[in-house]
Amino acid sequence: MVQGDDLARIIAGCKSGDAQCFSRVVDMYSSRCYGYFYRSTGNKDISDELLSELFVKLVEKIGSYKGGSFESWLFRIASNIFHDHLRSKQRRRKLLETRQEQAESEITEPRQSDGELVDRLQSQIGRLDKETRELIMLRYYSQLSFKEIAHMRSEPIGTTLAKMHRGLKKLRLLMEG
Amino acid sequence: MDGHKPENLRELLGRFFDAGQVESCLDDFQEAERLLRDHPAPEPDDMLIANIKAEIAMRLPAVRVETFRRRLWEMAGIAAAVAVLALVGVRLSQSPSRQTGYYASLIPTAIWESTNITSDDADLALFTTEIEQIKDEMLGLESGRDAGDGEGSVAELEMELIQISSDFWKG
Repeated sequence: MVQGDDLARIIAGCKSGDAQCFSRVVDMYSSRCYGYFYRSTGNKDISDELLSELFVKLVEKIGSYKGGSFESWLFRIASNIFHDHLRSKQRRRKLLETRQEQAESEITEPRQSDGELVDRLQSQIGRLDKETRELIMLRYYSQLSFKEIAHMRSEPIGTTLAKMHRGLKKLRLLMEG
Repeated sequence: MDGHKPENLRELLGRFFDAGQVESCLDDFQEAERLLRDHPAPEPDDMLIANIKAEIAMRLPAVRVETFRRRLWEMAGIAAAVAVLALVGVRLSQSPSRQTGYYASLIPTAIWESTNITSDDADLALFTTEIEQIKDEMLGLESGRDAGDGEGSVAELEMELIQISSDFWKG
């Protein structure tokens, strides 16, 4: 795990357009970000797309990073990308409904790609509502504190804790059931 | 994955839940962590990572140009602001003499610089002389030195005063 000063140097390199520094950021965060996308969407193909989009956004927006927790900043972008994905999916769903096509199954969650095995945890996560699912994954993969997560979601920390507790309790029951 | 930012979860939960709930929360949190740890999400494919890096490398020149352009605009903005401030500064430093000229154009310089306006302004000198003359006539009337018709003289003086007053305010 890269620490403080090294990370600051890497980010400074990214800001000056150094491809090697971007490459290191990809190596450092791709696994966690991918886990967040995968557990939130339940779909490998979509996670691939979202991860690519995240790093493209990173390149475009690195100039606007003004210090503070880089992980918090990166996962805020990841969270925005995930919510954009949900919104576009909602639009697609409405479009499909109006056309009365039977393509609904294409976008129901959890979705598995051809030949992909969905683990038991993923299938139970898929039974949680989207918001709770995303909150749990954000906490686990971003490794941010509850204070940072609450700030990111623009809600009181007590609300974040209560939602998280309800979600985890339900997930635990589902896994034990 | 246990690299969470340091925070005292027990204390944090204690602010919102009672003691029993705090223990239950902590237990659920730990169990969920264990579940997620025991069921790791798949890793991104090496091919995907390679593609992402290639995409970044492809986009960097455009980003560098954009960054350069943005910096140029920022510098241009700063230069413009400095130029405006310098211009305003120069104008402000020149403004006192201009202001003197402005006031001098409203009030004749001779009067502006005069120590005795009644003598330096022709109109005021005339009015002052007439007032002095009327004052003398009034004093003469009061002391009975005037040989003429007293009432007629007073009326005449009043008319003169009204005329002077009218002329004065007309300018």
